[in-house]
Amino acid sequence: MNNVIKITVYTMRDQMRHKSFYVLLGLSILFILSIRGCYDGGYTVNGKMVDNATVAWHVSKIVFHLIAAGMFLMVSMLSMKIFSRDHEDGSVVLFLSRSVFRWQYVLGRVTGTWALCLVFMFILHLTIFLTVWAKTGTFISGYLTASLVCSINLLFVIACVCFLSLFLPDFISAFFTMGILFVGFISDGGYQLINSDIVRSAVPSSINLEPALWRILYPKVFMVQAYADAIIGKSEFHNMGPFHPLLNLSFFILLIMTLMLVCFNRKEI
Amino acid sequence: MIILDSVTKKFGAFAAVDNVSYTIQKGESFALLGPNGAGKTTIVRMLLDFINPSSGSITINGLPASDPESRKHIGYIAEQHMIPPYLSGFEYLSRHASLIGLSGKDAEKEVDRVLEIVSMKGLERKNSAAYSRGMKQRIALGAALLGQPMLLILDEPITGLDPIGIRDVRKILENLRGKGVTVILNSHLLSEVEKTCETAAIMYKGKILIKDTINAIVKGHETLEDVFVRYIEHENE
Repeated sequence: MNNVIKITVYTMRDQMRHKSFYVLLGLSILFILSIRGCYDGGYTVNGKMVDNATVAWHVSKIVFHLIAAGMFLMVSMLSMKIFSRDHEDGSVVLFLSRSVFRWQYVLGRVTGTWALCLVFMFILHLTIFLTVWAKTGTFISGYLTASLVCSINLLFVIACVCFLSLFLPDFISAFFTMGILFVGFISDGGYQLINSDIVRSAVPSSINLEPALWRILYPKVFMVQAYADAIIGKSEFHNMGPFHPLLNLSFFILLIMTLMLVCFNRKEI
Repeated sequence: MIILDSVTKKFGAFAAVDNVSYTIQKGESFALLGPNGAGKTTIVRMLLDFINPSSGSITINGLPASDPESRKHIGYIAEQHMIPPYLSGFEYLSRHASLIGLSGKDAEKEVDRVLEIVSMKGLERKNSAAYSRGMKQRIALGAALLGQPMLLILDEPITGLDPIGIRDVRKILENLRGKGVTVILNSHLLSEVEKTCETAAIMYKGKILIKDTINAIVKGHETLEDVFVRYIEHENE
């Protein structure tokens, strides 16, 4: 078996040894199940009764993004310690004293963490999907596809935190990455807001506002979320600039991973 | 064969290893001696490509040390060998076995074999966090012996071992000597070095003071310790 796959499997296995992993997963599922009452009808909006399916559809969309936001936090916490912990407990010596290339080690660690978080997030999204289905009979067809699309955001966060942790203290690297996400949230969120139907109808001139170049080139984490939202809602997706957010983020992931491999190659063990 | 050619390693302005050149022949049991900070561990770390030399080159069996293939047949024990605390001795050894290409029954057999050699049979399923320092050293030695290595790099392998453990390591090294395995041993226990190695180099402040066979270094009624102290004191004057 290839060394990258071996290290990926070890990474997943090691993370899953922690009881906190199962506690967190259990609590998250419990939280999702506890809001199932929201899917029941009985809501009145503008004097009209809203049916169960519409309520479930809206609530599940909100929870979808809440889960993603929670995952960003969890992923940063998990990835910030990858290299420092390996250095402290001798794992890095275990791998690199054998015929393992450094790029294989880095790739294995990143892929393992990503795969684990992807599964974690997918389980939570699947729980909502199944709850909505069981409770209201509504089948939100794009929900799970959207979950997989959003997983690229997790990979970006892992790559970013790991790369920064090569130079910065663990917590600062996680905090810095959160800052990157926050700036993107303000920039892309503002763009989405301006292009929303409400603002468009209220301020028609807002449509002609061109975003600054840095905003177009900035890592499009929030735009991927918006794209996932469009998949769930089968609605129109307002892209900023000529590049699709998935393309934008793939470029940034590749760039950060390349820089990380170059820097790790020069690192003294 | 291991060739160090004009190897220098600088940390800032400080030269931890200063223009060191020597060759270790296949099957040679070689001891690297020197006081703390002499540069012994830095050489070991360069052999394993944990750090790069500032200048010069290191070749292991014809391959540059920077090529992971050169580590295919190397067993290594670090000065303070760490085992991830969440792994049992068995899991730790199994990971090593897997990384050297063993799998399934072959890996299990090989892990069993080395557990027997390092006298850790029956204790291998315990979490390594519960191991004493000596037990960790034994597991580390087991990992180094997996897959019949052609080169063993042992950085203070007997630190933390009890007298029986030290005797076991000596026996293992004597046994390996007969099998053509090259051994590089870093140790402060000079009496053990005298018993287990054929050649030695004394290092001081990053430089090699002498490299020869132990028989040539130790003359008359002197012990290796006497020679070592004489060389270091002479340099200090």
